[in-house]
Amino acid sequence: MIAREMLKQSLPLLVICGIGGLIAGNTLGLMVSLFKSIPGLLVVIPGIIALRGNISTAFGSRLGSAYHLGIINAENLWNEELKQNVLGSIVLSILVTLLIGVLAYVTTVIFFDIMPNPFQLIGIVLLAGILSSALLTLLTIGIIFLVFKRGYDPDNITGPALATFGDIITMLCIFGSAIIFEVIA
Amino acid sequence: MIYSWKKIVRYSLPILTLTVIIELFVGQILQVGQDVLLQQLPIFLISIPVINGVGGNIGSILGAHLASGLHVGSIKLDYKDKSMNEKFLTSLVMGVSTYFFLSIGIYLMGVLGIVEMNIGFISFVFIIIATGTVLVGLVSVISVLTAFISFRKGIDPDDIVAPVVTTLGDSFGIIFLFVFIGVVIP
Repeated sequence: MIAREMLKQSLPLLVICGIGGLIAGNTLGLMVSLFKSIPGLLVVIPGIIALRGNISTAFGSRLGSAYHLGIINAENLWNEELKQNVLGSIVLSILVTLLIGVLAYVTTVIFFDIMPNPFQLIGIVLLAGILSSALLTLLTIGIIFLVFKRGYDPDNITGPALATFGDIITMLCIFGSAIIFEVIA
Repeated sequence: MIYSWKKIVRYSLPILTLTVIIELFVGQILQVGQDVLLQQLPIFLISIPVINGVGGNIGSILGAHLASGLHVGSIKLDYKDKSMNEKFLTSLVMGVSTYFFLSIGIYLMGVLGIVEMNIGFISFVFIIIATGTVLVGLVSVISVLTAFISFRKGIDPDDIVAPVVTTLGDSFGIIFLFVFIGVVIP
């Protein structure tokens, strides 16, 4: 009977996450012409999506543990512990997005006979990383606050919620910064 | 104070760097298939986050259940464990039905003209379900293996299974998709 329970609780969530994935996929579809005009851009997509998911779900999961440890709650949300967590996530985002940009450029030059513009490619990834990091940090704090207020266990909510919103927000940020760099160029 | 940003960065950076490097190879595979995806079959481009997302989610859910079961003692470290096998089968059923629903949804978007497509209903649903079934099978096996191996070594499976299965889900999702596109569309 465990199986039936698992099916009942997870299947709706899976379908909702799938629909979230579709929105992210549609953003990809909108970017077709950008992929054609900016070589190397398609390469960074899986990395940056995975990165955002990993950083923000780890952030949410740490806040969940902090809640269970009693060092953070709805009344005492913006304290030094939270600030350290926010700072940690932002520093990680900047470092690793920079790494993604550089590695994407290098591997594209090595594996393919094309020369992407390094400043354009790394700039797009970095801008998208900083934007999505800021937005998702705010979103995580908002979700955590609501979850605390309602007395839910954050461990049940933050993982799937952040993974799904994270994909959508990240895709929109890459789309946005790619357009900004196209306009500048 | 228990958190410091320096510690968070120091502990997370190695695993993040590793997953990013693997994901970049996934990105390079995408670039190889770029022409197929962008020129002929944009409908598969929008399917990619769905295929990868569902695969990763199934693996993470199974992993979380296995981790809890191992911690509580309701699951034994035995590949014949009944509760583990039941959860494994449930994951497969859940995965295949989710891919079925979503493939119909995606095709509908093509019919409504939201996405460009030139592929028949049966071929499209077949490619997605075939990719999904093989992917969910692989991800579930990996999930059981990583949960069991990490638990036996005294590492908390909660920390390990999710990053492993989401990264593998992303890479193999795209590889299997290309294989089945190649099989169905000459």
